[in-house]
Amino acid sequence: MNAARVTKFEKPGPAPDLPAEAGTEAVQAIQAIGRALEAHYADLVQAPLPDKFLQLLTRLDDDKSGSKAQGKRDALD
Amino acid sequence: MPSTSFKDELLSETRNLRAFAISLSGSVSLADDLVQESLLRAWSNSEKFQPGTSLRAWLFTILRNIYYSNYRKRSREVQDSDGLYARRLTVPGDQESHLDLEDFRNALTKLPAEQREVLTLIGASGLSYEEAAVVCQVGIGTIKSRLSRARAKLVELLELDVAPQPPAERKVRRAG
Repeated sequence: MNAARVTKFEKPGPAPDLPAEAGTEAVQAIQAIGRALEAHYADLVQAPLPDKFLQLLTRLDDDKSGSKAQGKRDALD
Repeated sequence: MPSTSFKDELLSETRNLRAFAISLSGSVSLADDLVQESLLRAWSNSEKFQPGTSLRAWLFTILRNIYYSNYRKRSREVQDSDGLYARRLTVPGDQESHLDLEDFRNALTKLPAEQREVLTLIGASGLSYEEAAVVCQVGIGTIKSRLSRARAKLVELLELDVAPQPPAERKVRRAG
């Protein structure tokens, strides 16, 4: 792996917080790491999301609504 | 009691939460268990979330606590057999850029977890230094030093050329 291959990613990386005396190569290396990290993370974020998370939150929300409705019925009895 | 909009807010953060979980554990199946447990815990503790603060940082904190309490040992056990995300979540694009990302991912797995999580939080998840410090329960100075060590280790692992130039030479270059 060399710098030329890593710098193929074109997405902008986070601003490097390097010391002022850091050389150009060091800045470019950190920027290349930033771009690769963003590309890597973007793939993870965009990966298909299992349905079970939506199902879980929907069930929790339905349970909440159900318990509220039951509470109203109990109050009327 | 959580409102319907809280459910929607949780849903909108689930992709990021899962990405952080995969980065942290190195395992897609463990990450899914972590996300499920985190969503359940967030739902039952919704009154503890302070509106106006970062829901993402709050969820990451919950997930990280669950991971270090219950999952860290398990993740080391299953990481090899689980097939790491480099192979499970392949990257669209030309062959060369795919290889580049795989090299990068392999290097990431070699970082200590505490450095990898800081790199992910700051460099990819969009958290501030302050938010990352809260998530990791350390000071901002520790976040910065871990970030610096993580970058230096990746530079070494990826064999990037960072040879420093002598100050006198830099001056000459700038003048020229």
